[in-house]
Amino acid sequence: MSETQGGQSAAGVIHDLGYRRYDGPRLGRAQIVRALVWHSFRSSWGIGRGVKAKIIPILAAVAMCLPAFVNAFAVARGNPRLFGYDVYVPQLRVIVVTIFLAAQAPELVSRDLRSHVLPLYFSRPIRRGDYPLAKYIALTAALLLLIEVPLLITYVGTIASAKNGHGVWGETKALIPGLGVGLMWAVLMAAVGLVLASLTGRRAYATGIVAISCFLTWTVSELLIQSEGGVTSTSTGARIGGLFSPFNLLDGVRIWLGGTSPGDDANPGHFGPLYGVVAVLLLAACLGGLAARYRKVSRA
Amino acid sequence: MPSTEAPEGPPSPAVMETAVVETRALTKVYPGNVTALDGLTVDVAAGVTGLVGANGAGKSTLIKILLGLIPPTEGQAKVLGHDCQAGGEMIRTLLGYMPEHDCLPPDVTATEFVTHLGRMSGLPPTVAKERAAESLRHVGLHEERYRLIGTYSTGMKQRVKLAQALVGDPRLLLLDEPTNGLDPAGRTAMLELIGRIGAEFGISIVVASHLLGEIERICDHLVAIEGGRLLRADTITSFTRASQVLAVEVEEGLAQLQQELAARGLAATLAQRTLLVPLGGDDTYDVVRDAVADLALPLCRLERRRHQVEELFRDEEGAAHV
Amino acid sequence: MTIELRNVSRWYGNVVAVNDVTMSIGPGVTGLLGPNGAGKSTIMHMIAGFLPPSRGELTVAGGHSWHNPEIYRTVGLVPERDSVYAFLTGEQFVTATAKLHQLTDPAAAAVRAIALLDMADAADRKIATYSKGMRQRIKVAAALVHDPQILVLDEPFNGMDPRQRLHMMDLLDKLGSEGRTILFSSHILEEVERLSGTIQVVVAGRLAASGDFRAIRRLMTSRPHVFTVRSSDDRLLGGALIARPAVTAVELAGPPNSGLQVRTSDYGAFCRDIAVLARDHGIRLREVQPTDESLESVFAYLVAD
Repeated sequence: MSETQGGQSAAGVIHDLGYRRYDGPRLGRAQIVRALVWHSFRSSWGIGRGVKAKIIPILAAVAMCLPAFVNAFAVARGNPRLFGYDVYVPQLRVIVVTIFLAAQAPELVSRDLRSHVLPLYFSRPIRRGDYPLAKYIALTAALLLLIEVPLLITYVGTIASAKNGHGVWGETKALIPGLGVGLMWAVLMAAVGLVLASLTGRRAYATGIVAISCFLTWTVSELLIQSEGGVTSTSTGARIGGLFSPFNLLDGVRIWLGGTSPGDDANPGHFGPLYGVVAVLLLAACLGGLAARYRKVSRA
Repeated sequence: MPSTEAPEGPPSPAVMETAVVETRALTKVYPGNVTALDGLTVDVAAGVTGLVGANGAGKSTLIKILLGLIPPTEGQAKVLGHDCQAGGEMIRTLLGYMPEHDCLPPDVTATEFVTHLGRMSGLPPTVAKERAAESLRHVGLHEERYRLIGTYSTGMKQRVKLAQALVGDPRLLLLDEPTNGLDPAGRTAMLELIGRIGAEFGISIVVASHLLGEIERICDHLVAIEGGRLLRADTITSFTRASQVLAVEVEEGLAQLQQELAARGLAATLAQRTLLVPLGGDDTYDVVRDAVADLALPLCRLERRRHQVEELFRDEEGAAHV
Repeated sequence: MTIELRNVSRWYGNVVAVNDVTMSIGPGVTGLLGPNGAGKSTIMHMIAGFLPPSRGELTVAGGHSWHNPEIYRTVGLVPERDSVYAFLTGEQFVTATAKLHQLTDPAAAAVRAIALLDMADAADRKIATYSKGMRQRIKVAAALVHDPQILVLDEPFNGMDPRQRLHMMDLLDKLGSEGRTILFSSHILEEVERLSGTIQVVVAGRLAASGDFRAIRRLMTSRPHVFTVRSSDDRLLGGALIARPAVTAVELAGPPNSGLQVRTSDYGAFCRDIAVLARDHGIRLREVQPTDESLESVFAYLVAD
């Protein structure tokens, strides 16, 4: 790459700064997708985006973690754990997840739509479906972090004041299903948020669509449950009221799978399996919609 | 009678003679019976090739098919020896694409953006960073590359688009209207850059453009498409062959000169401010010279007229199939 | 039918988009050139009556264009932006424009205008299905439907393929030779060079030059003219040339047989000398070309100033 001009002694060297070929290893599709996942995951937390982009994610994370810290203090003073791992603080969770989703899902997909950058991705060695897949995995991981970390803080805060190994074991047994519920939340809500946000390139509209959809469906569902007698009611209306909101849907699935802490939902009773089915269908519909959205990219 | 002519055309880079793009009876019909490509059969040689004349639907369809993004209705296409359908992923590894439209996010720096796309091309992390820096340097973006793309002028944005096409070390570049939106100075700079890439970097380039003057300037070959079919494909020099007409311009006394030439046996025709003299042989030059000198006229232009690519499009209903 | 600007300025707060421009645009085709942001669009919008000048006089065919809808009887405007209703067919759009002009037979006028632009085949399709070049053409058809004497076009060849462009250039040429006043702006110098006799060059809001670009070049006496000369004996001719007072430099350019580059401070004197010198020395002249007389060079000089 460098050429010596003239003789050996004290000769100057002119280096060739011309174009260089690259003959080294090239990463395959899997690793490219992994890089996109990581890049998107960082975006969803506002990393690498400047200060303003970090505000909402950080506020959301802090808000979500607050009860966990409060719990740590309370337990240290001798109180029992303040809430169940499988529900955490239900209303807070709904609100924070809604806000996070409404702010960050557009960050992941609407930005790219708005700047018409997709042809640059699709002219590279990945498949059409890889792009939405990567975004989905990234957002799921982001939500997972948002939801599970407070649970872990709660766990640590509680066992720090545990009296004996039996207490720790008890906490651990309670934590695991809680983490499972959190996983369900992340998996479903990421899909819902992404498919809604992918409807438009305008960040503000996307945020609005996600926020309003989440909020309205939740309100409708709550109203239905309340009007049918509330969470202790056993009327059909109350039992199926939770189907109308993804959050309450998840809660219904939780109860069906054996969750005991009181949540926002009435007990679905024998409608339990229906909740499970609807949840899976909703997930499939959202992921299918997402894949379809990116199958046709009109500008090339 | 042979006449010594100055060497025509730019020197071609020494490259293999296999075609970089081959299509055979390539057809694409969209629902609603819109035919974008209609039995297109053409070979694109290595070097810098201009793609001209295709209307909107035809050109973007061809590009999508070459990138392996959509399947043709009939026929086949190969890029760098790989079939566009079966080897789409391989092709996209070897190809760099610069779209016509705006495709840059405003809130990242050029460096971050090109590095990220380098990763998307399959480059390992440090290599992506290095090649991004190099590509941006090659396209002429220096300290600006640390600023947000939203602050860039059109010319700079076009360069970023080109840099992202180069970052993966492509064997073939597909540039779609690279001088779009650029003012004359920006246009010249971009054309020089493309010429340099073709000549020095050893990368084959296909430039889709509506501007024939640009194509004549930087391309070695031309593929002209019309109505979804091939109109003509040839080297640029064959399009711009010198004609048998000598154009003569004098600051004053044009009519006088015309008469004088007629008196000396040359029937010149007047075209605006130029006299067109049929080039019978080498001595025509001398007759003209003497006529001008004897009349003491100020000679401001003397040149052998060249054909232009444009003439292809001046033919009536020129849809001859090659 | 002229467009007259006298000391016209237009500013937006502190930004002076157009700075004391005086120009007169008469019948025939005139090209308006300038770098990005030089004020071309602003001038066109003022001519079209979308903006008033902040200062100065602007008249179109003798009347003001601002707040004067009457002007649109004589003026046809083709703006740069996509200003068509995509859900209409081409024919509907042009006919609607004709009706807005209150023509006596809008349908016939529309058919004529559409035929002029060679869009008859596509006229019954929705504009949304048109390519960029076709949209341009339908816009021009709509601008011509009322047979205006003045036509103002902002980047009219944008997106057109070569055949469409040649067709449009021929059309504008014809309209110009019919005595209409045609003003168009473009970045693409090869089009402007081809089409217009006169150019108006705007740089940073000011009028940098107007007229025929070759005449403009001649006026740039501070820059030496450069000619490429190819002959049967370049070196001998070069020696003879350098002896002449008008010639300031002679360079044997690059590879052999690729000619001479001759710099001259006196364009006229050089032109008179060259043929005579060649004849007297028995040298065959193959090519004499002013290398920087292209619109591109002239423009580069003007902009760089």
